[in-house]
Amino acid sequence: MIDAHLLVSGIIFGLSMGSIYFLTAIGLSLCFGLMRVISLDQLLYYAIGAYITYSISAAIGNLWLGILCGVVVGGLAGFAVERLVFLRIYEKDITFSMITSFGILIGGVGVIKFIWGLVPRPVPVPIETQLNVLGTDVPVYRLIVILIALLVYAGIWLFLNRTIIGKAIRAGTEDVENVEGLGINVYRLFTITFIIAGALSALAGGLNSPLIMVDPQMGLEVLAFTFMVVIIGGLGSIKGTFISALLVGQVVSLGSLIYAPLAQMAPFAIMLLILLIKPTGLYGSQLLKR
Amino acid sequence: MKSDDILTVAGLNVSYGESKVLFNINLNASSGQIVACVGRNGAGKTTLLKTIMGFLKPTAGTVTSNGTSLIGRAAYVVAAMGVKYIPQDKKVFSDLTVRENLELGSYATRDYDWDKVTTYFPKLKQLMDRKAGYLSGGERQMLMIGRAILGNPKLLLVDEPTEGLAPSIVAQLKDVFRELSSKSTLVIVEQNLPLVCAIADKVYALNEGHVMAELADREQIKPETCEQYL
Amino acid sequence: MSVLKWWSGLLVAFLLLALLRVFLPLPFANEIMIFSVYAIGCNFLLGRVGFISFGQPAYLAVGAYGTAFYLFYFGTNPYIGILIGIISGFVVSLAVGPLFVRLRSDYFALVNLALAVIIFFLMQKVLAGITHGDDGLWFLTRMDSTPVLDLTQPDQFFIFAFLIAFAVWAFYKYIDDSIYGACCLGTKINEDKLKFLGYNTYNIRLLAFVIANTTTALAGSMYAIYLGFVSPEITSPARVADPIVVTILGGVGTLYGPIVGAIAYTGMKDLLSQVFGNWELIVGFLLVFIMLAGEKGIWGTLAPVLERTFTRLTAPRSAPAPRTEPGVKGT
Repeated sequence: MIDAHLLVSGIIFGLSMGSIYFLTAIGLSLCFGLMRVISLDQLLYYAIGAYITYSISAAIGNLWLGILCGVVVGGLAGFAVERLVFLRIYEKDITFSMITSFGILIGGVGVIKFIWGLVPRPVPVPIETQLNVLGTDVPVYRLIVILIALLVYAGIWLFLNRTIIGKAIRAGTEDVENVEGLGINVYRLFTITFIIAGALSALAGGLNSPLIMVDPQMGLEVLAFTFMVVIIGGLGSIKGTFISALLVGQVVSLGSLIYAPLAQMAPFAIMLLILLIKPTGLYGSQLLKR
Repeated sequence: MKSDDILTVAGLNVSYGESKVLFNINLNASSGQIVACVGRNGAGKTTLLKTIMGFLKPTAGTVTSNGTSLIGRAAYVVAAMGVKYIPQDKKVFSDLTVRENLELGSYATRDYDWDKVTTYFPKLKQLMDRKAGYLSGGERQMLMIGRAILGNPKLLLVDEPTEGLAPSIVAQLKDVFRELSSKSTLVIVEQNLPLVCAIADKVYALNEGHVMAELADREQIKPETCEQYL
Repeated sequence: MSVLKWWSGLLVAFLLLALLRVFLPLPFANEIMIFSVYAIGCNFLLGRVGFISFGQPAYLAVGAYGTAFYLFYFGTNPYIGILIGIISGFVVSLAVGPLFVRLRSDYFALVNLALAVIIFFLMQKVLAGITHGDDGLWFLTRMDSTPVLDLTQPDQFFIFAFLIAFAVWAFYKYIDDSIYGACCLGTKINEDKLKFLGYNTYNIRLLAFVIANTTTALAGSMYAIYLGFVSPEITSPARVADPIVVTILGGVGTLYGPIVGAIAYTGMKDLLSQVFGNWELIVGFLLVFIMLAGEKGIWGTLAPVLERTFTRLTAPRSAPAPRTEPGVKGT
């Protein structure tokens, strides 16, 4: 059987990977829920977050400050793209937003190549310490990543359930027209949602940067995984996204302990299976059909 | 056109893409009136309300309220000007509680005086923490109306309020509409002719996008006269 | 409509393409031919059925690997290789189609993307014993020279690719003009109405899916034969952009869009990567620009202009038939 040490470190590894997937997927899920757009450009903010983190932490040696700057820049980039592009396409069909945001993603990759070049960049891990969990040493940094993802989940939950803007966003997920009919400026809600989404994607990129090499294609590389997480969870559902991100993280991580080559494929097989049984994903409601 | 008319619709034409839905609609409602629109399904009644509200853009024509044009304004701006739309199918936000539904109405209008809601609908008081999705049809309609009257709108556009509701609730709504008309003007789209005849000051009969008849005289508004347009 | 008129547009287009061969270097011309066949499937799905697929490389790879397996392990005749490629594309799309076409268009796009990733990992890692992983399968020297059109020669391959492309175009034009083509467009514009008319939209979609992806697989096997080698790179997530960009660039739902798009895209990619080394920047923002500017694409913009000039030249004539607006969204 599998060694207990391997199992523990595998689970921790899977949780941290799932945390990153969750952070990239949540923006997509929110944008779909409220605006009914598929915002592939979230993966661009992910890459931007990672690159800003790289530049700042290389310049002043503090990763956390780098991540913070990345989050700010990611949010700003999201704001700019929303104002310039998405504002014009909310009325259109969903495939329209998918293609347009895909163009933004590709173009953004070009911009990144232009600024930072093609060479993959390493970002040093800020905390090298290992912590003993159930007799196994696990890197503290990965635990911090998991903790941050949990905090974000709690924060998003509080935001959506305890603030009036959050409540308006939840209401808008059901029926945007009725929210507007009450006299609420829904376009401001859209902008707020987009900024949150962009910032969270950038946070994912920043947090992930010490764990991988930062390179221009990094957004495209997680694109498929992010979408898989969103689809398994159900487009528009935060809870579903959270659960499916953890699930996918574990499947990839524990799967690689059993048979490495299959690990990357297994989540896709799960996704196909889930869609076969429930075409809207685990928590996606039929209401969202449109 | 008198500027004290709460709502004046003149020469309104609306199309969905290639297909025209409304043809040259003229309609007006003065302060304190209850105006009813009757007509078959597909006559364009809902389209008319949505266009007044600003959800749809007309190809021609004007919509004015107290002399101010509503055309070209986003729906949330129109709502802020005191025009509220109560959509059909009782579309409450089912994932939110009754309290949260009302909070959204208050947030939009800065009117936190919920007493007027609970005076009309005392039942809502006990349901505050229930998810709106679990309410009955009548309770939903109460919530919809309650949510809309926050901010004391001058004009309420009500779309099929009694569709599928029990007669006792319809009777209750009838009284509520009467009381509301002392503060607001109501434009009600309705197929329930007895209700229409009981409360309406003016009736417009729509058919296939045209105004077929305008009955402005209380004497004329009887089920028998209205029936021919359904 | 007379038969001659039906053919005239196609003939003129392909005559121009044949002329292009004189001015363009051979690899470039070959690439355009393959690319246009590659994109027409995507164009058909998006423009006629309203489904965008982010996973066309999956079917490209299926065709390419089908051909490659045959030529590497079993036979030597490239024609049979292509046939095997088409068959494998047909089989795979028939296998996944019933599941995929049930989905909403957004899920459809993403599920196809997932399929592309699965095939990528399958070919790179899981089946590495057969596919030689990232090294790929090389079979250029194993292919026989065939008597009439020798596919191992690039110049003769061009003629072959040209004929294939022509056949594919004639086929798609035929579909477009048939009742079935109208049904496809119907599912895109108003599925419910078509259902009320008594059509089974599920079957219509499934057929469209199989046709489009079998065409894509054909393009894949042409690639395999042309390059004489196949590697998992063909279906890597970074290549997902290609067919979509070509489709949008050319003009969604237009008949000649894929050709125009393929010429523009291959040209741009070649030129830009020589000048800038950074073609994503231009291609990406061009995509956004085309979408915002009315999603008509190059051909969609040119076609009405050409039509007007043409009718003016050959006036007097009856008014041109009303055109269906090309575009991502139904009217």
